[in-house]
Amino acid sequence: MTYARRAWIILWKDLLIERRAKEHANALLFFCLLLLFLFQFALGPDRDRLAAAVPGLLWLGFILAGLLGLGRSFLGERENDCWEGLRLTPGDKSAIYLGKLAGNCVLMTAVEIMLVVLFGVFYDVDLWTPAAPLALVLALGTIGLAAVGTLFAAMTTQVRARELLFPVLLLPVQVPVLLATVSATQALLLGQPLADVAHWLKLLAGADLVYVTIGLLTFEFVLEG
Amino acid sequence: MTRALGWLAVLGLVVGLAAGFGYAPREAVQGNVQRIMYLHVPAVLTAYLAFGLVLVGSIAYLATRRAGWDRLAAAAGEIGVLFTGLTIVSGSIWGKPTWGTWWTWDARLTSTAVLFCVYVGYLLLRSLIEDPEARARYAAVVGIVGAVNIPIVHFSVKWWRALHQPSTILGPERSPIDPAIGLALFVNWVAFTLLFAYFLARRMEIARLEEQT
Amino acid sequence: MPSNWGYVFAAYGIAAVALLTYWRHLARRTRALAARRAAKPRAA
Repeated sequence: MTYARRAWIILWKDLLIERRAKEHANALLFFCLLLLFLFQFALGPDRDRLAAAVPGLLWLGFILAGLLGLGRSFLGERENDCWEGLRLTPGDKSAIYLGKLAGNCVLMTAVEIMLVVLFGVFYDVDLWTPAAPLALVLALGTIGLAAVGTLFAAMTTQVRARELLFPVLLLPVQVPVLLATVSATQALLLGQPLADVAHWLKLLAGADLVYVTIGLLTFEFVLEG
Repeated sequence: MTRALGWLAVLGLVVGLAAGFGYAPREAVQGNVQRIMYLHVPAVLTAYLAFGLVLVGSIAYLATRRAGWDRLAAAAGEIGVLFTGLTIVSGSIWGKPTWGTWWTWDARLTSTAVLFCVYVGYLLLRSLIEDPEARARYAAVVGIVGAVNIPIVHFSVKWWRALHQPSTILGPERSPIDPAIGLALFVNWVAFTLLFAYFLARRMEIARLEEQT
Repeated sequence: MPSNWGYVFAAYGIAAVALLTYWRHLARRTRALAARRAAKPRAA
C-alpha cells in the first residue's frame, strides 16, 4: 500500500465519519454564528469600529474555532480504542499525519468560508471584491494553523488537562501566522494589490513549509506509546 | 567542579556590576537608566543560548533516546524561562522612564514575550506528563517546534511593528557605539553565561538524581 | 534629565532576588534528594 494511499484512507475515513455523524461541522459552524454575535456585542454598535476590526476578528474567530475543532482531531481514535491501530500501522507513520492534516484543512476551510460569508452578511463588509487574493491568504493561514494544530492535538490527546494544554501550546506558536494573515487581510480589504502583501505571503508559505515538515518528521515520535 | 563554576560566576557578576556602574560612562541621551541594558541584553542572549540548548537536547534525544539529552533540554528550558522573564521585567522597567509606559509592543519586547509563552507552555507540558519516556518524547517535539519558530516570530513581529510604529531612536535596540559601553556589555554577558552554565549543571544534576531515586 | 536611579536599582534588585531565589530552590532540591538517597537502605 503506497504512502499516498494510506494518507488518503485516513482522510477519507474522517470525512466519511463526519458526513455520517455530522458532529464536528454542525457545532463548529454554529459556533461561528455565536462568535459573530459575541464580537458585535463586545465592540458595540459603532459600525466603523467594527469594520476597522474585521481583519483581526476574522482571524480571531478562525483561531477560536480552530482551537475547538483541531483539539479534537484524534479524540475519535482515543475514545474508540483505535490508538493502538494507528500505532501498529505498517510503514511510514507520517502518512497518518498527512491524512489528518488534510482532513483538518477541509474542516477549517469550511469554517473559514462560513465566517467569511457571515461577516459579509452581518457586518456589511465587502469580502467579494478581494476574494481571490483573500482566498490565498486564508489558504496559507489555514495550513499554518492546521499543521501545528494536528501535531499538538495528537500529543495532547494523551495528556491530562488536554483542553487547557492544547491552546496554551498552540497559541504562542501561531503568533507569526496571526500577525501575517491579519496584516495581509487588512491590506487586501483596504484595496491594496496582492503585490503589496507579497512579503507576508512569503513568510506564511515559508512558515507552512517548516511546520508541515516538522510535523511529518516528528509525528512518529508522538504516536508511540 | 560545579562549585568552582559557581564561584567563577559570582566573580564574573561582581566584575560585571563594577563595569556596568563604575567603568561604563553615563549615557548621553537616556542617562543612568540605560545601565539596565547591562542586565537586559545579557539576559536575553543567555535565554537564546538556553533555548538553543533545548533544541539540541530535543533533537539529540529523539535521535539517541539517551535520557541525558532530555535532562539537558529540561534544565535549559527551565533556566531559559527564568532569564526570559528577567529580560521582560528589566525591559519593562527600562521602558517606563524612557518611553513613559510600562509596556510597548516594540519588536524585541513582543518577540521576547512570545518566546516566554512558548517555553512556559513547554514547561507546563513537562509538568503534566508523569511517564518519563513519554514526557521526554513530547517535550522534544514541542521544543523543536518552539525553537524553529523563533526566527519566524522575529520577522513577523518586526514587519508588523514597522506597520504600526516608526523605529524609536531611543529604543533599547540601538547598538552601543561607545567602546566602554561595549566592553561593559561583553563582561556582563560573559558573567551571565557563566551563571547560566552553573545553574544548568546543578539543575541537570538534580534531574539525574531524581531519576535514580 | 532625572537620574532615575530608582528604576535601575529596581531592575537589578528584582534580578538579584529572582536569581538568588532560584539558586536557593536548586540547593533545597539537591539537599532533599541527597537526604532521600541517604535514607534508602540500598547503597547508591
